[in-house]
Amino acid sequence: MKRRATRGGAGATQAVDSPGAPVAPRLAHSDVRLRLIAASCALLGAGGARAQSGDAVAPLTPSIATPAPSDEWQIDSALAYYHEDGRIRAIEPVVDVAKNLANGQVIGVNLTFDSLSGSSPNGALPSRKAQTFASPSGTSLTDPKKTYTTAPGQLPVDPNYSDDRLAAGASWQIPITRVTQTTLGGKLSYEHDFFSVSGNAAIAQDFNDKNTTLNFGLNEEYDSIRPIGGTPIAGSDYSLFEKNGGDKTKNGISGLLGVTQVMTRNWLSIFNLAADRFTGYLNDPYKILSIVDGAGDTSGYQYESRPDHRTRKSAYLENRVGWDRASTALSLRYMSDDWHIHSETAQLQGRLWFSDQDKYVEPTLRWYKQTAAYFYTPFIPAGEQGSTGYASSDSRLGEFHALTVGLKYGEKLAGQHPGINGEFSARIEYYQQISDGHLDAPGSLQGLDLVPKLKAVLVQIGWRF
Amino acid sequence: MKIIRYLLVATVVLASACSSVGVKPWQRDLLAREDMQPSGSSIDAAIDDHLYFSKEASSGGRSFAGGGCGCN
Repeated sequence: MKRRATRGGAGATQAVDSPGAPVAPRLAHSDVRLRLIAASCALLGAGGARAQSGDAVAPLTPSIATPAPSDEWQIDSALAYYHEDGRIRAIEPVVDVAKNLANGQVIGVNLTFDSLSGSSPNGALPSRKAQTFASPSGTSLTDPKKTYTTAPGQLPVDPNYSDDRLAAGASWQIPITRVTQTTLGGKLSYEHDFFSVSGNAAIAQDFNDKNTTLNFGLNEEYDSIRPIGGTPIAGSDYSLFEKNGGDKTKNGISGLLGVTQVMTRNWLSIFNLAADRFTGYLNDPYKILSIVDGAGDTSGYQYESRPDHRTRKSAYLENRVGWDRASTALSLRYMSDDWHIHSETAQLQGRLWFSDQDKYVEPTLRWYKQTAAYFYTPFIPAGEQGSTGYASSDSRLGEFHALTVGLKYGEKLAGQHPGINGEFSARIEYYQQISDGHLDAPGSLQGLDLVPKLKAVLVQIGWRF
Repeated sequence: MKIIRYLLVATVVLASACSSVGVKPWQRDLLAREDMQPSGSSIDAAIDDHLYFSKEASSGGRSFAGGGCGCN
């Protein structure tokens, strides 16, 4: 029997066995010693269904396990490789370190680096003819060094897309009383054309013999955008390259109210209500729309234009059920916003421990569906440009559904420091996004695949020590 | 006012219901297990959230919705 510190947890119970150990049968056979140890640890612990993890970017993730004070930092790391079919590739190393302090406080620091390259859709529609576009820093369609050409029938993508992102986050969990805990957190994120800073505060209150926890948190985010080549005038003619320069900003405030409920010895339920409001520059400065005539010919392009505010509301329900050698987690989310986007998400995840109980497999299935924003349009009919108000052909604002299937393998590492739960893991996910929009393609565009499927693979290895 | 009344009723009902469920401290062995922690692995969740944030119009729900990323 070895003690285990669940990183970032701040709940009541002290885990007294390694994950997957056959605790239940032993309890069922009245292992008095184990009961006494568990009860003692629980009574000495700090909280029950308590909010917070050490993840600086997910400060309202509840945890019910107690961190064991340790002189060691626990390090959770991962290297992810993401590859879209014919589009973006990304390499993402992540390091997450946390330390459980003797006074019940938990501090965590998170570092993420993204290196992206490949081809990114620019928003224009495929055409029967070759199409030439300027790179983001280009100011004309005639400079061969700053233009790219899309072959007939192909989805226009900027083939020279490249971006790096460095993000750092920190969180600090502070127990106020035996049943109250606060968490403070912040995050910085930097790209060469984007900077983001956010701060958050949350409070968790235990009730009902620490079986019920209410969580409330607020997050404020400030973003600064400096598009390469300047900021285009929303809705303007692409060929004129009207850039009004200067940085753009947007602000967002998010709130989350949640309850975490221990239902039974092996059933945990979470319900969250959340809302956020972003105001400011919400356009994608690199996205354009095709202007298409009745014959299906592209006569020009214009920059997209989105509203300068957006309010989203969501409801989230998660249920986790565990058995001696298995567990399942089902989460459901409904979201809607004032851009008329409604989405439903369902994710089912299972974990099956192998017989020697230091290895597991974890299959995942996720289904997602969203409706289109009211200003989404794949193209602008010729003659209507400039009169459409807001318009965007960004496929992420269109109607589609997506499916993710994934599999993870994990193996516990022996010989770790006391209180540290080491693990090696590897996982793979396949993501596919399929448009559900019904597009009446004019003239020559008929027969072309105007909104191709997005297919992506994620491969990740992880090491916790 | 109606909404506030409904919320009050819902809170009372929820509180009543919650008081009849739950476990004793010595019954938390399974709940303390790693795979029973809400939202599972935080690193996996962060990587997945970033992926979905950059490809879909929805984010958050499990935690705050902000992205801190210029990708969307």
